[in-house]
Amino acid sequence: MPDQPTSLPLQTKVSLTLLVLIGLFIAASYVILGLVIAPAFDDLEMSAARSDLKRGEMALQTDLDNLEALTADWAPWDDIYSYVLGASPGFERSNLARVTLENLSLDLLVIFGNSDRLMWGQVLIDGKERNLNELGILSPDNPAGSLLTSHRSADNPTAGIIATNLGPMLISSRPILKTDNSGPVAGALIMGQFLNDARLARLRERTEVDLFWSFGATDDSLPLAAGDIEFSTRESLISGQMWLEDIHGAPYLLLQSSTPRSISSLGNHTVDVALLFLGIAGLIVTGIVWIMLRMTILKPIDRLGKHMRNVRQSGDLSQRMDKLSYDEIGRLARQFDDLTGAVHEARQALLDQSFKAGKADTAAEVLHNIRNAMTPMINGLERLRRAFKVTESLRVEDATSQLADPECPPDRKDKLLEYINASFKHVARVGDDATEDLKIATSQARQIEGILTDQEKFANVAPVSEILKVEEVLGEAVHVIPKEAQPEIGLKIPGDLSAMTVKAHRIGLLQVLGNLILNAYESIQRCKGAEGRIHFEAELEMLADEPMVRLTVRDNGSGFNESTSKMIFQRGFTSKTKGESTGLGLHWCANAIAGMGGRIRAESPGLGQGAEFHVLLPAAQGG
Amino acid sequence: MTTVDNQNFIRVLVADDDEQVLECYRDAFGVDHQAGQIEALDALAADLFDAEEVCKDTPKFDIVACNQGLDAIRQTAAAAEKGAPFDVIILDIRMPPGIDGVAAGSEIRKIDPDVEIIFVTGYSDIPVTELKRRVPPPARLHYLNKPLSFTQLADDVVTMVREH
Repeated sequence: MPDQPTSLPLQTKVSLTLLVLIGLFIAASYVILGLVIAPAFDDLEMSAARSDLKRGEMALQTDLDNLEALTADWAPWDDIYSYVLGASPGFERSNLARVTLENLSLDLLVIFGNSDRLMWGQVLIDGKERNLNELGILSPDNPAGSLLTSHRSADNPTAGIIATNLGPMLISSRPILKTDNSGPVAGALIMGQFLNDARLARLRERTEVDLFWSFGATDDSLPLAAGDIEFSTRESLISGQMWLEDIHGAPYLLLQSSTPRSISSLGNHTVDVALLFLGIAGLIVTGIVWIMLRMTILKPIDRLGKHMRNVRQSGDLSQRMDKLSYDEIGRLARQFDDLTGAVHEARQALLDQSFKAGKADTAAEVLHNIRNAMTPMINGLERLRRAFKVTESLRVEDATSQLADPECPPDRKDKLLEYINASFKHVARVGDDATEDLKIATSQARQIEGILTDQEKFANVAPVSEILKVEEVLGEAVHVIPKEAQPEIGLKIPGDLSAMTVKAHRIGLLQVLGNLILNAYESIQRCKGAEGRIHFEAELEMLADEPMVRLTVRDNGSGFNESTSKMIFQRGFTSKTKGESTGLGLHWCANAIAGMGGRIRAESPGLGQGAEFHVLLPAAQGG
Repeated sequence: MTTVDNQNFIRVLVADDDEQVLECYRDAFGVDHQAGQIEALDALAADLFDAEEVCKDTPKFDIVACNQGLDAIRQTAAAAEKGAPFDVIILDIRMPPGIDGVAAGSEIRKIDPDVEIIFVTGYSDIPVTELKRRVPPPARLHYLNKPLSFTQLADDVVTMVREH
């Protein structure tokens, strides 16, 4: 058999393919989660950080709005209007006191009359009153002072963040008008709140954002335009910062927020968990697929391959697969079994036909040659018969008796002598011809003997051996018994013979077993009155270290005595009456079994007690 | 059609691969060397013992023998050309190494559609129906198995020719 290119087993290929697939699946999951899911969490986290900073800004703006609202509540008021114009001196006594600042949560309250005339003012830091001049923002020569202490029109308020010498503060200044917002502008009302740690704490509390601020721009801290937002990401948090302008429009308050990276942390954890889940799920699915493939495809294909190998190695085409499924592979296995079955039957038929054809050819040749050889012999004998028939009609006796008669005339005596002489000559010629014909007959007889001798040579050619199931051969051999007689004699082939196989010439074994079964049947028939039984057994045994199958045919027929057992396999021996013998004879059976490398022996307890014939044959592979 | 000519000869062609069988044919269809001696004896016996002399009208055979089918075809063609066709052709079926008797008979039938053909064989695996199909007509086809008496065959040939 030529070398075939080696390849990985199918099971290994499938396993490797599944491993590669699960690897690709996990890698794809990792990439998708890393490139799509995780950045989404990062974006969400950045959005949250932006939202935190905006909330801080909005909270600060709300404080400023509240301050403006308070200023807008006080500034257009007839009472304060009158006070600023000097028409209501009691207003100061009843409304302008330290308690007013405390009630309004103000750190600064200042009232100016026209021409920057300070009417009343008070500034508190941590509950302590400080001099207004310490602020450094209310003097007319200060750029802020002109924005705060005087308003050219009714709709010219000032609000925002401002730097003072006492600290940054939210400040709001409005023109003092009448309650109905009519003028003319009588002065300016200024309210302020320091942007101190307490306010920052309240902002943090309100916004639930970790806020920071710093004031005043430096060269390093001015990378951004006012209103722009910048984020910096660290391992555990995202820092955002933005500049807020003071009342002069210059960047002054750097508002910062710190947002913990809980979202990205949650995202990373989610991605890790998802990866772990997908990996485990992929492995489980791969495992299930592998098991399913193995159960439904790989294992059946492996079984089919082993079955095919067994059939090829053993040459036993009668082998069949058991427990076949009904899927495509099961159907394939059945088709293979059907194919080997058909080949098995075809081989059997071919062997039978070949055997019969061989026998027929041989018989034809022998018939032709023997008949050809017999033809001259028969014709020679025919000539002899005719010649001797003529001699029988010769009347030599009559002629000699007439010669002895003294009254016989001389001329008749001459004719009689001529007749006798001619008769003897004829007899002599017949004798010569007969000798020649007998020579021919002898020669032809030798020729026939030569033909038979040639046939004897061919008789020694060993027949083809094959692996045979004992059960099948027996099943075929029992057909020698008439079908209607089989139930009567309890003929049964036990199931345990199915595992037994022998190596033998099928037709020869069939004829031997058929002969033994027929002998048993006839023996039972001779033993009238008994309930006939023919029993078969087969078992393995060793003969000269060679595994053999011993096949026993046992009957309860007429049996035989000891003297018969010594002659039972001799040529020409038969215990049957003349004309009763129908089989091939046990002598032939013994020779046939010996030709197959086996042995045969017969046993009987005695006449009328049945008999056993044991046939030993070489066991095939697996016996 | 020639049957028995003026000299009372019946023309017979025999083809058989066995020389000894051919010799038997020659004996059966040839000249009986003892015939004159027996006739003289019969004449003497009739004169001496008042026995009846057998008056014989024994036909004579003109026999041609060959051992291959192709030779038989050639002989048939040659005889037909000479205007002296055979009355009877006896063919063996198995004549190795050449063509078998059936193939030869089939060709012979094409040359001489009226000749009586007798197949004589020790064994044939060709059924008689097949022979009749391949070498028609069935009425002029005969089949005999060896061994057989050639003397009897010679008598049958005479009857066959005379009835023809």
